[in-house]
Amino acid sequence: MVCKAKQNLIIGEERMGKFIFKRLGQMLFTLYIVITATFFLMHAIPGGPFTREKPLPPAVIAALEAKFNMNAPLHVQYFDYMKGVFSFDFGPSFQKVGVNVIDLVQSGLPVSAKLGGTAVLVVLIIGIPLGIISAMKQNKWEDYVVTILATLGVTIPSFVIATMIIYVFSGKLGILPSFGLTSWKHYIGPVIALSGFSLAFVSKLTRSSMLEVLQQDYIRTARAKGLSEFVVIGKHALKNALLPVVTYVGPMIAGILTGSFVIEKIFAIPGMGKYFVESVGNRDYTVIMGVTIFYAGFYIIMVFLVDIIYVLIDPRIKLHD
Amino acid sequence: MIKGEGMDKRWEKASEEIKGEKKIRPSLTYWQDAWRRLKQNKLSMIGLVVIILLFITAIFGPMVSKFSYEDQDLKFGNIAPRFDIYEVDKSNYIYVHPEYKLFTVTSDGELLDSLRPVKNDMMNSQKIYEVDGKRVVLDYKNAKLAKKNPSIQKYKILVENKETEVTKRVFNKTYFFGTDSHGRDLFIRVLYGARISLTVAIVATLVNFFIGIFYGGISGYLGGRVDAVMTRIMDIISTIPLLLYVILLMVIIAPGLKTIIIAMGITFWVRMARIVRGQTLSIKQHEYVMAAKTIGAKNFRILSRHIIPNAMGPIIVSLTMMIPNAIFTESFLSFIGLGVSAPQASWGTLASDALAGIRTYPYQLFFPSMAISITMLAFNFLGDGLRDALDPRLRK
Repeated sequence: MVCKAKQNLIIGEERMGKFIFKRLGQMLFTLYIVITATFFLMHAIPGGPFTREKPLPPAVIAALEAKFNMNAPLHVQYFDYMKGVFSFDFGPSFQKVGVNVIDLVQSGLPVSAKLGGTAVLVVLIIGIPLGIISAMKQNKWEDYVVTILATLGVTIPSFVIATMIIYVFSGKLGILPSFGLTSWKHYIGPVIALSGFSLAFVSKLTRSSMLEVLQQDYIRTARAKGLSEFVVIGKHALKNALLPVVTYVGPMIAGILTGSFVIEKIFAIPGMGKYFVESVGNRDYTVIMGVTIFYAGFYIIMVFLVDIIYVLIDPRIKLHD
Repeated sequence: MIKGEGMDKRWEKASEEIKGEKKIRPSLTYWQDAWRRLKQNKLSMIGLVVIILLFITAIFGPMVSKFSYEDQDLKFGNIAPRFDIYEVDKSNYIYVHPEYKLFTVTSDGELLDSLRPVKNDMMNSQKIYEVDGKRVVLDYKNAKLAKKNPSIQKYKILVENKETEVTKRVFNKTYFFGTDSHGRDLFIRVLYGARISLTVAIVATLVNFFIGIFYGGISGYLGGRVDAVMTRIMDIISTIPLLLYVILLMVIIAPGLKTIIIAMGITFWVRMARIVRGQTLSIKQHEYVMAAKTIGAKNFRILSRHIIPNAMGPIIVSLTMMIPNAIFTESFLSFIGLGVSAPQASWGTLASDALAGIRTYPYQLFFPSMAISITMLAFNFLGDGLRDALDPRLRK
């Protein structure tokens, strides 16, 4: 018996290794596609980065193009860029003199990561309990309150929430600061706006999967054994009810990532999102390219990790798809 | 025994009574049944009514309004939808703009004209006007103090050297939603924004719909190696944050109405393709598809006549869910400066423009935001109801 179980485990590990290997390959391929697509999309732009309303003298343009290595053949530029990306060198910014794209990422990333990380934590720490409460008190007032909040959270765009917070809490009441990110108070507004949608979604998701799990036989068995309600919910139901939430973590990170563009703009937070929006505004192509690839890479790695975690915690998943 | 009777009845014309009996329980088609279920869901009916009203106002609203979305009157910039008026005498009322400008208004809130100060006394922080022969003084000495202490009134109005209190608060009868900083009527701009936002959302969703049906249908129907490759492509695309690519596309092909539609149309189709593929995979096993094959129907005919129409339920549900997403994406893009360009307006650009003056003119943000939120809510309610009504798995 024991021997057989061990054998199964070994086979499982082997499969797991294969699965991770396959996913890793897929991830790298996707990254490659992202870089290639971004590169060629940016080079498909008519005009080019030095086209101004008042045309620059041809000599200046030639000098600029030579400086940014733009008169090399396209495939050479492509391979150079590819090489650069894998050593985290995204080239210089076209609009900000003497600033490299990676400098912007380095200065913006910690700020955005702090804000985004807080938002993710808030979503999980508040969203999941709200969903559980709502499922436990199905069709009671607690359930209705959570459902209404969740519906509003899903439908009201983040920028509307953000501007409302600024208007009410910073403008009218004057209790929250409206820009920057220096004290803990500065986090309240942006985090609420940033996590609003995902928070609502996670609580909806937790509620529905909790309701489904609570009808299962093993919950009845657990109750029949005389376990306390706390153990039944916390140990038996929650483990399985949280599986769909884990799959949502990937899209949630994407949502919070892109959401941060607007939120950082509204609250004037010097993060990557703000730089990205700025670069879109003044057509700073290398910054747009660099940040897009950086974001996409980050997101792809997150999805990869979530996939692996999911397989690890859900034994029902078949590894050979 | 029944033979004689039965034979007779069979050849007789059916009586009215029998016809009536049949009508008690008419057999319902799939769509009739779905409609019957949808009607029972109050929230989705509210959603449907709101959506219909929205379309009617978006289409006909701009036709009946006296302003156009691009009419601007700098004189009447940033006027609120509801304001305080002061009585000068029985027939003359004035409204004090937050920028210390005076307007003559009627007692029920119709804007007449802006007033030019007769004398601008900067030393005493006073502006002196003449209304119908009466001397009206706007005293803004306290403006600086009011900044520190909000309980102090920013300005005083003196009519013939006598301080006057606010007579009443009225709704703006000329501009229902107020005006923006260029003096454009916000009401008509929100209506016009509805046109743009809804057009973008619906056309982009339709583009997704056609690409999705085409891609998913072929992938699911052909199966085998073609399906494997096509599914792998979908897997790769769905792990890329698509919004970034919408932004990239918009940067490349200068922002505008067409660009938003193109960028959203060619990026967000994967979800639809997945649904269509899943449906096709299960429907192609049905007998009627087999029957069609046996009589030699072409692949295209089987797909377009047999498979797609029968997959319509889940497709429509996801279409209604995609529209609010598209509205949100459009306003999101406009908000970061990639929307339609002025004087055109979508809800997103209106909200974005209002951001600069949020403290003084919050109404400019309120109306477009409400429009976006209500529309998204309505489509969500309708989508939820449609899912319950059209999803066969939920049928009892």
